[in-house]
Amino acid sequence: MNRALRRMSIAVLVMFVLLLVNVNYLQAFETGNLTSKPGNSRAFAAQFQYQRGEITTADGKVIAESKNVGGVYKYQRVYPLGPEYAPATGYDALYTASGVESAENSFLAGNSSKLAVRNVIDMITNKTRKGATVQLTLDSNAQNTAWNMLRASGKSGAVVALNPQTGAILAMASYPSYDPNQLAVLDGPQLNANDAKLQKDPAQPLLNRATDATFPPGSTFKIVTSSAAFAQGNDNVQTQVSAPSSLQLPQSTARLINDNGETCGTGNKATIITAFTLSCNTAFANIGMQLGSATLKSMAGKYGMNDPNLKIPSPVAQSNFPLEPDLATTALSAIGQKDDTVTPLQEAMFSAAIANNGTLMKPYLVQQIQAADLSIVDSAAPTALSQPVSPNVAAEVKQMMLSVVNNPTGTAAAFSNAIPGVQIAGKTGTAQNGINNNGLNDAVFTCFAGKGNRSMAVGVIIQGGGYGAAAAAPIAVGVLKAYLENG
Amino acid sequence: MSSVATSEDATLGGMPDSPMAMPRGRRRTEAAMLVFAVALVAFAYANVGFGLKGSLPSGMAEYMVAFVVLLVAAHLAVRRLAPWADPLLLPLAATLNGLGIVMTYRLQEVGRNGNPGTMSVPLSSSATLVQIVYTAIGLGCFVAVLALVREPRVLQRYTYIFGLMGIVLLALPALLPASISEVQGAKIQIRLGGFTIQPEEFAKLALGVSFAGYLVAKRDVLSLAGRRLVGIDLPRARDLGPVLIAWAASLLLLVFESDIGTSALFMGLFVAMLYIATQRTSWLLIGFLLFVAGAYAASKLFAHVGERFQIWLHPFAGANPFGNAYQLVQGLYGMASGGIFGKGLGGGQPYLTPLVQSDFVVTAFGEELGMTGLMAILLLYGLIVQRGLATSMAVKDPFSKILAGGLAFMLALQIFVIVGGVTRLIPLTGITTPFLSQGGSSLVASWIIIALLMRLSDTARRPPPQPIQDEGMTQVVNLS
Repeated sequence: MNRALRRMSIAVLVMFVLLLVNVNYLQAFETGNLTSKPGNSRAFAAQFQYQRGEITTADGKVIAESKNVGGVYKYQRVYPLGPEYAPATGYDALYTASGVESAENSFLAGNSSKLAVRNVIDMITNKTRKGATVQLTLDSNAQNTAWNMLRASGKSGAVVALNPQTGAILAMASYPSYDPNQLAVLDGPQLNANDAKLQKDPAQPLLNRATDATFPPGSTFKIVTSSAAFAQGNDNVQTQVSAPSSLQLPQSTARLINDNGETCGTGNKATIITAFTLSCNTAFANIGMQLGSATLKSMAGKYGMNDPNLKIPSPVAQSNFPLEPDLATTALSAIGQKDDTVTPLQEAMFSAAIANNGTLMKPYLVQQIQAADLSIVDSAAPTALSQPVSPNVAAEVKQMMLSVVNNPTGTAAAFSNAIPGVQIAGKTGTAQNGINNNGLNDAVFTCFAGKGNRSMAVGVIIQGGGYGAAAAAPIAVGVLKAYLENG
Repeated sequence: MSSVATSEDATLGGMPDSPMAMPRGRRRTEAAMLVFAVALVAFAYANVGFGLKGSLPSGMAEYMVAFVVLLVAAHLAVRRLAPWADPLLLPLAATLNGLGIVMTYRLQEVGRNGNPGTMSVPLSSSATLVQIVYTAIGLGCFVAVLALVREPRVLQRYTYIFGLMGIVLLALPALLPASISEVQGAKIQIRLGGFTIQPEEFAKLALGVSFAGYLVAKRDVLSLAGRRLVGIDLPRARDLGPVLIAWAASLLLLVFESDIGTSALFMGLFVAMLYIATQRTSWLLIGFLLFVAGAYAASKLFAHVGERFQIWLHPFAGANPFGNAYQLVQGLYGMASGGIFGKGLGGGQPYLTPLVQSDFVVTAFGEELGMTGLMAILLLYGLIVQRGLATSMAVKDPFSKILAGGLAFMLALQIFVIVGGVTRLIPLTGITTPFLSQGGSSLVASWIIIALLMRLSDTARRPPPQPIQDEGMTQVVNLS
């Protein structure tokens, strides 16, 4: 019987060796993999054991910080200004994160490889680990004005303001917004309840309209169409184009009319600058049909559209200008309708490129990263994204955009003296949307201005706001004023 | 392992001028090891307090005194009742039992007295005390078995009574209404007032004894060779009866009580004993194939069995980590967060895993003591099994041999099934972890197994009766 027992002992040995090997595999080799698996709240809890870095504005205002509250999760995230900065900061919840909290997590959490040496030193000198501070490019004045004016309008929409020379994002506000403090609660069931409430809210407060939602650009797209026309070299601002009050679209029963069917200036022909100032649809539809969809698409791409890879560092929704199959749709796309969609950030980028003499800077939100020992770990280096137009063409488009505000007949003439001593260049858009265009028009405005060494480009989209000059422009001009007059 | 236990003692401790070397009882080794076990448990207990609150746990002194008193009593009983028994079994079991009490205390404190965490089913504030009471009952039964069973062969007389008892205990929960027998979809317990008893824990002991007795009586018939197939002697078809009955019983268990783990345990126990008794590999193959076929059919026929397989294969797929695989993946996450050295007792979040106090207690140790601690615990189990197998080899009469081997193998199988289940080596089935799981039935049954193994090893190592007086060298008797 001992032979059988000996064999059985070997079987038992094999069973125990299997268990031991499996435990080794799980706890020594598989930990990294298991830590990143879905629903691993222990891995998230580990992040809350030490102080996460702060997020501040460019002028040093703290907009996210970690406070010691004791408990399993030692530190809780606090957002002193909540919804105003939510589109930028995002949230750092128990199980997930968004916005800068997610994109710069390795620095904020302090486990970036760039902080590794410091962490080792901290461990040796017995200092508690603390994450790095992330300083954003946001200007607290501009941001505050953008948020307050958006909120006062009561309509959903977004504002993005850029420094045209660098691409730094000076303001990024979205309304309705949410309070990230609600998602920073450390109580799981409470977090789930708060999250469910925000998810179910028909106003979509969690949606960052500034970069994650797209809307038709409407007439603001005429910046791109005229850029494409001038870039061909045959046209200039004084070129006469056909601009009837109503245009029969080729191979289509549809007719395109100017706003309220008005004539464009004095007759059936107008200069491009007049058509731009009055925002005549027929004139730009004709220009677009002459240029062709491919040319327009190429120019739109240079302005930053059709780019699925833009990050600020959070990913930005793609602004779309697809190739149109026929002349009728090309005509509509040339005036920012049909399939054209843009983010409010893209609206600001249109103006920023013109303001920066035709060079479009890559937008960015993070200015610099400072380790807990106050050394600078990483700093933004402004880079050009593209050059949509030459400085000459940019000057021509700028002349037209100035005319929109300064010419008494311009669509935004009401703002010619809005900021004393400052000339505003802008373009209004009143974008039709909805099925059969039965939705309320979106108000769109893109503009730029400079004063002293400060300059700013702003894009505003207000959903259902009606005329661009009525709903969007006042907010854009207000943000410009707040920034330029505080220089 | 194969050497008779007395031989080494004879050479080491034998006195040259004595006719018969007296082997040492090694009770002092046991006492020293028990001191070590108590020190380890006390250290772990204090560690929980410091991990949770930064101070010694309140009530630690009383609990530890109770634990020590119980072990001293058990040790004294062994000195008197089984002086030749293996010296490691009691300290090994005591260490595991003590660690189980420590983990119960650690989990009981969750969410209490300002300690962090919430459990889906929190332990009552008296859980540790109750566990110590169960320990007392367990050690009481341990002493009782040693006192009542002075000679293992006595049990052989009651082969059929134990068999009947085992079947009744097994069938009881299935026959009782679900309201007092169902837990987590498996009908395996009896609720009486505030207490629950899991009769299967005792059924497996009764059946183990019964199997051993039956096999001793029938082993000659069972080892008769029938046809030969691919180099293996198949048993005669008419002798397949007992293995088919055991198989059918384990399948019925599976079907009516939804308890795959215990079903595997019974089948394993029976086949292992059959193998020891007959030395026929064919019985192993037949038993294994029958069980696999039965389990496969059950996984197709019964949704909850099939689900176990799906969870095992794809725990992280889709919504599984948040649905039916939640418990398994939480246990794995806990072990992953523990890593090599663990979070320290009181430092992890084992309470996030549902039922961590019973089926998943191994993952709690993995999380807080790390891979090193968990491997140490597995080696403690391994040592118990090894002592059991060594006893089986050393003991002489067939009944004791089969019983010791069967019990040791069943213990090993139980560890393999539950630890392998929670570490995703094999599909998870809910059975208890001997000594560590919170709860009484399993603890008491485990102590009875230790008592039986100690009784068997006492028999194996007991020196033959000494002659009454020294009769001197063989003398030549002159008859003239």
